[in-house]
Amino acid sequence: MTSVQLSPARLYLVALLGVILSGCASQPKWPANYEATTVTEVPFHPQEQYQCGPASLAMMLNAQDVTATPDELVGKVYLPERKGALQVEMVAAARQYGMLVYPLEPKLNAVLQELKAGNPVLVLQNLRFDWWPQWHFAVAIGYDSQKEALILHSGTEKNYHLPASAFMATWDRSERWARVILPPDQIPATAEPLAFLMAAHDLETTQQSDAAKSAYKAAAKAWPNQPAALLGLGNLAYQQNQWAEAEKYYRTMTERFPDISAGWNNLAEALSRQGKNEESSAMLNKAQKAKEGSKQPGNG
Amino acid sequence: MHAIRSYTQSISAIMALVMVLSSMWAIPASANIVGTGELLTEQRADIDREALMGMLEREDVKTTLARMGVGEQEVRDRIQSLTPSELADFKQQLAEAPTGEGVVGIIVLFLLVFIITDMLCATDIFPFINCIR
Repeated sequence: MTSVQLSPARLYLVALLGVILSGCASQPKWPANYEATTVTEVPFHPQEQYQCGPASLAMMLNAQDVTATPDELVGKVYLPERKGALQVEMVAAARQYGMLVYPLEPKLNAVLQELKAGNPVLVLQNLRFDWWPQWHFAVAIGYDSQKEALILHSGTEKNYHLPASAFMATWDRSERWARVILPPDQIPATAEPLAFLMAAHDLETTQQSDAAKSAYKAAAKAWPNQPAALLGLGNLAYQQNQWAEAEKYYRTMTERFPDISAGWNNLAEALSRQGKNEESSAMLNKAQKAKEGSKQPGNG
Repeated sequence: MHAIRSYTQSISAIMALVMVLSSMWAIPASANIVGTGELLTEQRADIDREALMGMLEREDVKTTLARMGVGEQEVRDRIQSLTPSELADFKQQLAEAPTGEGVVGIIVLFLLVFIITDMLCATDIFPFINCIR
């Protein structure tokens, strides 16, 4: 048996590689295309003790002309025991105001692109260490490319300039959590069709039917090749017992996406609710056919 | 012993009844509408699957897999049978990798973990793999 000899030189190389590779992850580089300085007008609320969550959320909502004060949000998102707010509650509270919450890709570019489009970004930072965290919500409102800095409403600081390197260090430790909060008929600058539709679906499942409807409508318009937008519109109508309306959307869906069985299936349901049983069973057949078609090997 | 046996008959009758009733219960549920979320999950999985397939086109991935004696068609079949949650898991791992580094390793490792645990009979994801034991 031959033993592997680790020469000192090799060990150093390994150590050096370790340093370089771990450095890669957090070494920020100011991306191209973000040359100018941009700041969006966002009303500022300084945080009370520990209450960065309610203050940040109020600023995000105010930026979209929703009247909300940190005080009224405290009851919705602030946990006195933890001296803080949880991400899920921040998101859920924003939805209660009929807003669509879109999760950004964990990239600096995504944040900058939204800021460039004039959309403030809610970010979560960890200001201390992984093993002794201090979570902090802040609102990114712009950037200064010359200083390579982000401009934040953070804590008690208005228009706080934070160098991108420091931002990345604190943002990395929160697994780069960032959200855009917009009225549901507005599509974020970095939005991907499926991710946006999932955010719209979150509105559907949290009983924000009107908001979900306008989000699905916006998606159907922006991405005509997305079947889920039509299905969502149909399902919303169906849940509100508007069978004819549901039928209309499902029908459009089957015309445009005949290979997707969900459209045929739901169309059949909407028809049977209106007592059109014969047509309904014909549609169920088509649903079955579409299902079999998509199960063929090598397809999909 | 005899007493137990006499019970089993009535218990099994009750169990059978429960089974029949519960399967009848399931019929109206399956004939209901398909939720928007279900379609979205399916579509997301399709996209992830395609992305993973696309990665197999990379020369470095191909050679690494070939060196390990894994055929390309086999890998394609494996990807085809991954569940949405497994695919999401894979994407998560890929996203956490430093840019440009170790992508090959992650792809190969991800696929091999499933294949090897399958061979050791720890999991049974790929029905065409016969386990060693």
